[in-house]
Amino acid sequence: MNKGAIEELRNDTSCKHYNVSKKNCKGNEPPGLATFGCAFEGAYFALAPVSDAIHLVHGPMTCVGSTWEFRHVGTTYEGLDKTQMGFTTDIGEMDVIHGGEKKLARAIDYAVDKYHPKGVFVYETCMTALIGDDIDAVCAAAEKHWNIPIIPVHAPGFIGTKNFGERLGLEAAVDHLVGTQEPEYTTPYDINLIGEHNINGEMWLYTPILEEIGIRILSTFSGDGRIDKMRQAHRARLNVVVCAKSSEAICKLMEAKWGIPFISASFYGMREASDAIRRICAQFNDPQLTARAEEIIAREEARVRKALEPYKILLAGRKAVLNTGGNKSWAFAVALQDIGIEVVGVSIRKSNEEDKAKLRSILSPDAVLMEKPVVEQVPLIMNTKADLLLAGGRSLYTAVKKGIPFIEISQEKTGNYCSYSGLINLARDIVSSINNPMFKLIGSEAPWEKKVIELEQCLIKGA
Amino acid sequence: MKTNVIMKNKAVQVYPIKLSQPMGATLAVLGVKGSLALSHGAVGCSSLTKIFFTRHFCDPIAIRTTAVNEVTAIFDGGDGIVKEAIQNFLPRAKPEIIGLFSTGMTSAKGDDLKRIVSAIDYPIVYADTPDFVGGLESGWAKMAAAFIEQVTESPKSIRSDKVLLLPHVSLHPLEVEGVKDLLTGFGFEVYALPDLSESLDGHLGVNQASVCQGGIAMNDIRQLGSAGIVISIGASMLPVAEEFLKKSPHSVHINLPGIMGLQATDALIEQLMHLTGKEPDRRVKHWRKRHQDALIDSHFSIGRKRFILAGEPDRIVDMANCIAEAGGTISALVASTPSKLLERSVAQRTFVGDLEDVEGMIDDCDVLISNYHGERIAHRHGKVQVLRGFPILEQIGVQLKVDTLYDGGTHFLVEVANAIITDHAHRQYH
Ligand code: SF4
Repeated sequence: MNKGAIEELRNDTSCKHYNVSKKNCKGNEPPGLATFGCAFEGAYFALAPVSDAIHLVHGPMTCVGSTWEFRHVGTTYEGLDKTQMGFTTDIGEMDVIHGGEKKLARAIDYAVDKYHPKGVFVYETCMTALIGDDIDAVCAAAEKHWNIPIIPVHAPGFIGTKNFGERLGLEAAVDHLVGTQEPEYTTPYDINLIGEHNINGEMWLYTPILEEIGIRILSTFSGDGRIDKMRQAHRARLNVVVCAKSSEAICKLMEAKWGIPFISASFYGMREASDAIRRICAQFNDPQLTARAEEIIAREEARVRKALEPYKILLAGRKAVLNTGGNKSWAFAVALQDIGIEVVGVSIRKSNEEDKAKLRSILSPDAVLMEKPVVEQVPLIMNTKADLLLAGGRSLYTAVKKGIPFIEISQEKTGNYCSYSGLINLARDIVSSINNPMFKLIGSEAPWEKKVIELEQCLIKGA
Repeated sequence: MKTNVIMKNKAVQVYPIKLSQPMGATLAVLGVKGSLALSHGAVGCSSLTKIFFTRHFCDPIAIRTTAVNEVTAIFDGGDGIVKEAIQNFLPRAKPEIIGLFSTGMTSAKGDDLKRIVSAIDYPIVYADTPDFVGGLESGWAKMAAAFIEQVTESPKSIRSDKVLLLPHVSLHPLEVEGVKDLLTGFGFEVYALPDLSESLDGHLGVNQASVCQGGIAMNDIRQLGSAGIVISIGASMLPVAEEFLKKSPHSVHINLPGIMGLQATDALIEQLMHLTGKEPDRRVKHWRKRHQDALIDSHFSIGRKRFILAGEPDRIVDMANCIAEAGGTISALVASTPSKLLERSVAQRTFVGDLEDVEGMIDDCDVLISNYHGERIAHRHGKVQVLRGFPILEQIGVQLKVDTLYDGGTHFLVEVANAIITDHAHRQYH
């Protein structure tokens, strides 16, 4: 994608975040306060699950050092799992002075010759954008020589946030790959999953159900992804955006170019999963398919309800505060309600208007939507006597101080909470947290901090 | 004997182990109490570095960024944006000192940190640490040297009972604590710079994420000049010691290439005995005997195995010596970055390279000692793996590990031997 296209994207008013805050979708954050990742990181994590492609980072070590093999994304690929390999040109002083194009060309040649990938993604980073390497030209030449797709990904870190980078990454893949190969066969029920990374294999908690209903996953962007499948994605009848809002932009592209309609769906929690399945099926307008879906939904829901019974007894009347940041908040709120927990407060710091509206419709009127969880979270826990805090790792100390059970919610650790079986996992984890004596102990006073020492406890009987 | 160090000059690093200077600088800042690391670059460098060390240490990391974007990259020489960053975070985090360092992009575009800092009325220590030169060791060392250069005052007099300890970046927090305790036992007043032994040592702290709560105090850094003795560990810390000697030319400098294994520890103890005329305390003496016993107990397994070690030069050379003392054959060392120390390694072959290079000669070893990224390779080829280095994910307590001096060396030999013995047993069962 050229610079003009990036500019265009940035001014894309169709983006849901556009009117909500002053900044648009690229979402540059102020100096000193920025906490989101960079565009490169977003692009890399969005595409790295493609397991038969090499992911080559054209930049210095900071970029690749903390990204490769930092996320376990499930793959069924039988060859050398390239989602867990790191490749970088490791730009040095000489490259900064003389340009890194030659090194990049040699790097691609070396990697393709040795590891025989189906394609190569080449990630531009701040350094190589700054020195002005013509990555497009290098990739084009290599593509010609090796006769496999070599895809330049222009998402240098300084251009915007992780979300923006995810979008740029997916767009590069769509631009370059989709429509360049025909599938062996098609079915009327072919779909693509967009924005699903398959972290810890979470996708596999719901794809078998879809397949059982008769829906075929033609292609994924990019959990358990393959280059060839991505090239064939234009033959799908429906694009399903899984959770990540930033991926809707590429669905619009594909809709305009190939007439593929799209819907968003979330598979967190039982109600959401059932709803997602129904909405996917509704798109096909096939009574038989719908009937089969209803059958399977009923079976799955019954299975989950049965499995949840013992947990529900243990969790009845419990209250939780939820601080996931981001757009998964309502999905998690629903999941918690599904296992019988009352959600008394949710952070909406990073939510958009749509998320907030959804939250309001789900939660009881007394529930607090926290604009500033940093200051609101602790009083809320006190006032509501919440039993549980579900939040990102940063909130651990709140939990420690208040001595209340804590469940870490982060992109890396939530994978197992997806779909029907995921709900059982969530209930199991919450029960084990709530019953863990550790949370009381870590907040306890040391002997030398206690005002009154109850020596009686220590007296040995008979002494 | 000088070893020939082979540079693997490939155009691409595959399974890289090298880490960047800004990452080293970040850690060094975290070794100073009341500090906050400020990365001058785009957002990703700091957020990724934060993720990296948070996952490695399982502890929060205090770091912020100037968040250079495509507009400020072109129109701002850093002056405006560094100031803005500080103004923005001050209501939330009030560090005693800001450790400011550059990244590749801001170094390449020529941002002058010295000029930037001189125009800001807030205590800042700065270091130029582009990621296109050096690595983790040099970034750490540059930041440490910056603290001495910019904070330490020239002494009026020096004290022979005060020691400045300069640990290399790969020494675990509790290893630094161990060396400090040893020196204290000899009657010294000891300061380590940087000192992770009370910040990233895995204790339950509060607010660690906004400002670093442990480490050497700024006031102590100011008065470091009076340390009559400076002990640097590792080749990477030599430039830091030189910086110190500029401030305090009459201090005595002792450089130890490492502190793992019997001989290296003996060398340190001898130096300390020479300096003080004292003997180490009873516990230290007794640990030496335990270390000797561990050598005997472990030599059956370690002595029959071949090892490849990959990681930061100061650490792997040291580790190799310790294993070699128990008779282990060091088939190869693969270092992340070049270092003078590599020329003195006991290994049969020494490289500067990546884990792809390791995989290329994996048949020459039985045991691979490397960071977490080596696990897959070791597993694929049925080799025993011992985890050391940056990063170690999916294992907890890395900062609690002590491999140095008599006591740590004992534990290390036992751990390596047990890994070999367990593997052997598993092979018999299956
Ligand atoms: S901000 Fe730029 S230099 Fe830093 S990690 Fe992201 S791409 Fe790399």
